[in-house]
Amino acid sequence: MLTREEGEEEQEEEEEAKGRRRAFSINDNVDLLAEILGRLDGRSLAVAGCVCRLWNALGRRDSVWEAVCHRHVAGGGSSAAGGGCSTRSVVAALGGYRRLYRLCIGPALDRLAGSAGGRGSTTTTAAAAAAHHLSLSLSLSLFSIDCYERLGGRQQPPASLLFLCKPVDVS
Amino acid sequence: MKREHQETGAGGGGGYHVATAGDMTGAKGKMTAGPSMGTEDDDCGVDELLAALGYKVRSSEMADVAQKLEQLEVAMASTAAAASDDASVLPQIASDTVHYDPSDLATWLDSMLSELNAPPPPLPPPPPVAASVHHHHHRFDVSTASAVSEPPAITTVAPLRPSDAYDFKPVPAPAIASGGRVVYGLDPQSEMIVSPRDQKRKRTCSPSSSSSRGAEAGRARGSRTEGASSAKPAAAVPVVVVDTQETGIRLVHALMACAEAVQQENLKAADALVKHISVLAASQDGPMRKVAGYFAAAIARRIYRRRPLSQVDRALDSPALDDLLHGHFYESCPYLKFAHFTANQAILEAFSSCRRVHVIDFGMRQGLQWPALLQALALRPEGPPSLRLTGIGPPQSDHSDALQQVGWKLAMLAKSIGVDFRYRGFVASSLADLESRMLLERDGNEGDRDDEGEEEAVAVNSVMELHRLLARTGALEKVLRMVLAVRPRIVTVVEEEANHNGGTFLDRFTEALHYYSSMFDSLEGSGGQAAEAGEEEQQQHRAMAEAYLGRQICNVVACEGAERTERHETLGQWRGRMARAGFEPAHLGSNAFKQASMLLALYAGGDGFRVEETDGCLTLGWHTRPLIATSAWRVSAAATR
Repeated sequence: MLTREEGEEEQEEEEEAKGRRRAFSINDNVDLLAEILGRLDGRSLAVAGCVCRLWNALGRRDSVWEAVCHRHVAGGGSSAAGGGCSTRSVVAALGGYRRLYRLCIGPALDRLAGSAGGRGSTTTTAAAAAAHHLSLSLSLSLFSIDCYERLGGRQQPPASLLFLCKPVDVS
Repeated sequence: MKREHQETGAGGGGGYHVATAGDMTGAKGKMTAGPSMGTEDDDCGVDELLAALGYKVRSSEMADVAQKLEQLEVAMASTAAAASDDASVLPQIASDTVHYDPSDLATWLDSMLSELNAPPPPLPPPPPVAASVHHHHHRFDVSTASAVSEPPAITTVAPLRPSDAYDFKPVPAPAIASGGRVVYGLDPQSEMIVSPRDQKRKRTCSPSSSSSRGAEAGRARGSRTEGASSAKPAAAVPVVVVDTQETGIRLVHALMACAEAVQQENLKAADALVKHISVLAASQDGPMRKVAGYFAAAIARRIYRRRPLSQVDRALDSPALDDLLHGHFYESCPYLKFAHFTANQAILEAFSSCRRVHVIDFGMRQGLQWPALLQALALRPEGPPSLRLTGIGPPQSDHSDALQQVGWKLAMLAKSIGVDFRYRGFVASSLADLESRMLLERDGNEGDRDDEGEEEAVAVNSVMELHRLLARTGALEKVLRMVLAVRPRIVTVVEEEANHNGGTFLDRFTEALHYYSSMFDSLEGSGGQAAEAGEEEQQQHRAMAEAYLGRQICNVVACEGAERTERHETLGQWRGRMARAGFEPAHLGSNAFKQASMLLALYAGGDGFRVEETDGCLTLGWHTRPLIATSAWRVSAAATR
């Protein structure tokens, strides 16, 4: 009987300790959360944006998407701080990193991964190979053309990026 | 190209067997020659010219083959003369058809020669569908035949040139009437260079005439008859009786024959051929059909060109429509994007560390090249320069100011990304009307903004515009002198990589046929993916792009003189012209190559595209055929003096 009481006491202590540990929630540390989310790939980040309002708001932060973009394209991460600022302002003017990913980088990576995946590599290695092949400058060029096409009351829907949006044959 | 063979009929021999050249020399009854695909041992030493057309002939056997062709012609002429009784042979053909594979010419000839003793019975009247995939049942309506059976004799020469092997002569009328069979003979009265399909037109014959001469000949039974008969002496032209079994090849043959007819001013033959081409083209599908359709329409236009241009034609020539089609061409295939990106890279590199830059664009259109340059300039490590853009465009028929609208859009974009931007548009119906001082002078209100100490770096950009100047003598030289006077840092020239400005019509036609076939193939290849929501739009873009190319085809084929503006020339020719004008080449760097390769990797079906670098110029092509070339030029040191 003594052992059982001891056991119960120990259990209570453990639960208290657990309670103390549970007091830490990632949702209380938004910047940390943003830092973590910024390390995801685009699709996962979009999925994460469906979890709760907070995560959704974070998923709309352009800085998070900026981290995602730079992580996934060559030549993005190595820009100097000054270069980073001007890039940021230009991209913001063109529509933001989230839009850049959605319109250009995402489909391009899918296309490259698809063509690489068709040769038998797994999705992760394909994605890595794809990132290696895409450059930020090319994506920005395509993005700027698309942005230009949307200017000034378009008569036709902008189509310069349509070549990226064709579905990849996954047969 | 697939060679499909079927053996029908009760009497048909056993299946296929691979026939090698040495096999069929015996004189036997029926012989069946199977398709010779899969004969790797035949591939070595195969004559390439013929192989490209689908015929496998060993180069070593060429003389032998030619000799046998003559023998065959003689034999067929003799058997044609001898045949007199249709009725008796008709049942034979109905029950027993033997199909030969003509791609292995040597074998086929042997089998023909061995069988050619009795007149081949005519085919049973097939349905009046002009062209179907299975050529053996082709039957062409020959009611228009009489118009074309004219005496203008067009002869060719050199019996042993492989290309001559496909100059076909029409059947002498008596031979047709006798056996209901199409035979080729050397009939001086009715010689004409036509392709095998066309001879149907020329004969009013019984419904049993058919294009599959080979099949008919193949139905001969019996022992071999060799015979020097009363055949006319060969006018040094071999007669080839071949059954191509491939409407694609026949289509090409028909097109070439038509072009030759046009070149020799044989307009009636050309007219008949054009109709025939349309009929043949309907049996194809995909890019070949479209290309053939456009070429046939262009030839028809050329034949009837003495009629003045109708209202519709004039409306179709509007620059607005041209811009619209150009836009769709931009979207559906990577050629223009490639051109823009590589040219921009060259301009960017030339402008490094300049604070004031001026770009002169010879063909402004929708200005799709410049957003990317604006963005790249904005993100330069040393910060954006102040950019001045001068755009040149053709006069618009509806008085709208397309150039100004484009400039306004670019200005909005430039403002949002923080590049100091000024724009000027020039309307000129031809580049030769411009003068250098017009391009260099600044607007009045800019005077106080400029710091006179800083020089402006100038770049001249021409995407597919220079070739139009070749229509007028001296225009190109004048424009290049003007460009020199502007003192540019760099001149970027993008042109189609083809020689459509050759001496004879036939040369131009052949070149254009190959070039646009590759183009249409690439459009098909890059556009074709699973049918999804975006597919509809893609198809629309592709159709418009094809229309854009169709207009070019029409211009190359149907127009002459000052009207023919699509005078494409090869990179080598442009190099010569630029060098003579006082420019030296500037190498496009590896950055341009990398960017172009990356861009191409993004295109689905991009496997077919090839980016190549030749002497500092980049070309983009479809498989082995380069289609568009970008080059960059500097004013040479000699010219500055």
